[in-house]
Amino acid sequence: MDETQPPQPQPPRPRPADAGAAWEDGLQPGTPAVRPEAPPAVRPERARPAVRPEHEYTVVGGEWQDLPDAAEDDLMVINMGPQHPSTHGVLRMVLTLDGEVVVDNDPVIGYLHTGIEKNTEVRPWTLGVTYVTRMDYLSPLFNELGYCLAVEKLLGITDQVPERASALRVILTELNRISSHLVWLATSGMELGATTVMIYGFREREAILDILEFVTGLRMNHAFIRPGGVAQDVPEDFDGRVRQLLEEMPKRIDEFGDLLSLNPIWLERLVGVGIMTAEECYDYGMTGPVLRSAGVAHDLRKSAPYCGIEQYDFDVVTTDTADAYGRYLLRLAEMRESLRIIRQALDRLPGGPVMVADKKIAWPAQLALGPDGLGNAKEYISKIMGQSMEALIHHFKLVTEGFVVPAGQVYTAVESPRGELGYHVTSNGTNKPYRVHVRDPSFIGIGTLPVLTRGLQIADVIVAVASLDPVMGGVDR
Amino acid sequence: MSDNPRMDVPDSAADEQAGLREGAIAVQLSEQLARLRDHLVEAFPSLEVLGFRGELTLIAPAHQAPDVLAFCRDDPAVRCEILADLSCVHWLGGQQQVHAQETTGWPTYTEDAGPGRIEIDYILYSVTHNHRFRVRAYVSDDGGRIGTATGVYASANVMEREAYDFFGVVFEGHPNLRRMHMPDDWEGHPQRKDYPLGGVEVQYKGATVPPPDERKY
Repeated sequence: MDETQPPQPQPPRPRPADAGAAWEDGLQPGTPAVRPEAPPAVRPERARPAVRPEHEYTVVGGEWQDLPDAAEDDLMVINMGPQHPSTHGVLRMVLTLDGEVVVDNDPVIGYLHTGIEKNTEVRPWTLGVTYVTRMDYLSPLFNELGYCLAVEKLLGITDQVPERASALRVILTELNRISSHLVWLATSGMELGATTVMIYGFREREAILDILEFVTGLRMNHAFIRPGGVAQDVPEDFDGRVRQLLEEMPKRIDEFGDLLSLNPIWLERLVGVGIMTAEECYDYGMTGPVLRSAGVAHDLRKSAPYCGIEQYDFDVVTTDTADAYGRYLLRLAEMRESLRIIRQALDRLPGGPVMVADKKIAWPAQLALGPDGLGNAKEYISKIMGQSMEALIHHFKLVTEGFVVPAGQVYTAVESPRGELGYHVTSNGTNKPYRVHVRDPSFIGIGTLPVLTRGLQIADVIVAVASLDPVMGGVDR
Repeated sequence: MSDNPRMDVPDSAADEQAGLREGAIAVQLSEQLARLRDHLVEAFPSLEVLGFRGELTLIAPAHQAPDVLAFCRDDPAVRCEILADLSCVHWLGGQQQVHAQETTGWPTYTEDAGPGRIEIDYILYSVTHNHRFRVRAYVSDDGGRIGTATGVYASANVMEREAYDFFGVVFEGHPNLRRMHMPDDWEGHPQRKDYPLGGVEVQYKGATVPPPDERKY
């Protein structure tokens, strides 16, 4: 679009002479129609004050100038969000409506933009984990994993990551996938008024978050997966607690199936809504459950496996309805597949270290639980403070400066609950990333909204958006 | 390892200027990617080939990039259905500090980096053949322009808007080139390396925390 050229004036659309005139002008029926003065065909450029008065909050957006003229086209423009309870986060959609049918949908994002990509450029490589984990806050471990795989690939140490660390990464991310799908189920249910589903979904998720908290110390934003391995080994009772979950969770997933799969309201709202065919998915870059719901068995865990996930036996679930109901069934089945992976990984969990042997990369912290919580182990502190000057120097250098990563550029992708989560990382050979770009599947999903919601009614827009499961923290980054 | 003479050519001058010497490291492409590279270079002789850590990068002249993308989508041997990612990297021009790899990473000396450039990376993925590679183009960082890929991949719409927002690259022919993340009245393009980073004022005797790139700690 050439921005310097004004839009061409459109001739007013012909209209029956008396259509609605009596209603519009408050005249008696039969009175000759008197049209109000037609609005100018080209809207004047929105005048902006040179200095904006204080405390005036505006929504200045180019899009308002391009909106269709309501009086001319019988179209209505409705702003939905960003504070709408059912837009799945701070998503704003400018809907152009013909009656209640969506003609156009212009998503507006950026309300949660925090410059995470930029922030990683001024911190050593390891600290980047702490930032990227905050992007897609429902699947933080996938963010950490994608970033760490990229850093390891740049360093050329992918093969040196211990097997135990890889297996733990698989277990934790698959647990995270279940918790993310449960939040999707809970919030989608709530957006349709099914509050029982919401309460159940968050209840089951708590069971998983308890395990993640037990392992990493935090319910979300764990910063547990680090370049070279994971931050520390799992606690003693890890195996027992996960096995307890493996016992319990299938029953809970069945419960959701019993509640919803044949529920008439659920069917009425979901079947045939938000259709994305495989061709549309390709064109719009959609991966993950949306692509699989269109019948394409594409899963990066199979086609580009990471962390040894290819050694576990699991199926790529697909449905062929390409609609919101298919995605619902698929996510339920995916949770069961994740449980299968976790069970196998737990059975075969190898022993050994959880961080690369290279002391120039491994974070030197030796964590232990003290009387005031988790911190550096007493023995480690006494060693670096009292016994070994070299150990202290090493600790200081690695913590303050980090390690140097060879110049180059890699792209790594993991299969997050929402699709392909890619990390496009560039190094210029220093101790800080030169550029980190994240291919977030939610962001790509937002780009499909115009085609996904066209022709739907407003109530269906909510279902369609929810079926993509966008997380605005990941969209805006 | 390859019969393609291009692979033996040392780094392009442009890459040396940028300090990114990918080609200097031994290239080990899989057989599949090597075949793909030969196929694409045959179709577009102007493509320059780089490899790093088993990933294939093809550098296209900026004016040819949309054609290369269209070929990659339509050619049955390439068949990249998905434009997985589009992102940019800003390489500053002029006198730049050269970072020594073998030491701690602190700046050692400066070198003339030539004109500033923005690198645009299109990451393509084929579900059919299960391969992934990168098409790269360079434009000037001072009002650089490149043809839009929205006619080839619909997903380029939002990605190019993001690239325009963060780097100021104008994608000619884009139907809707507005800012994506930043407010519409924002000045500047924040992911560029010449975009100033802000410091923080603190409420202690007028003290200021300097911007991150100027901190001494």
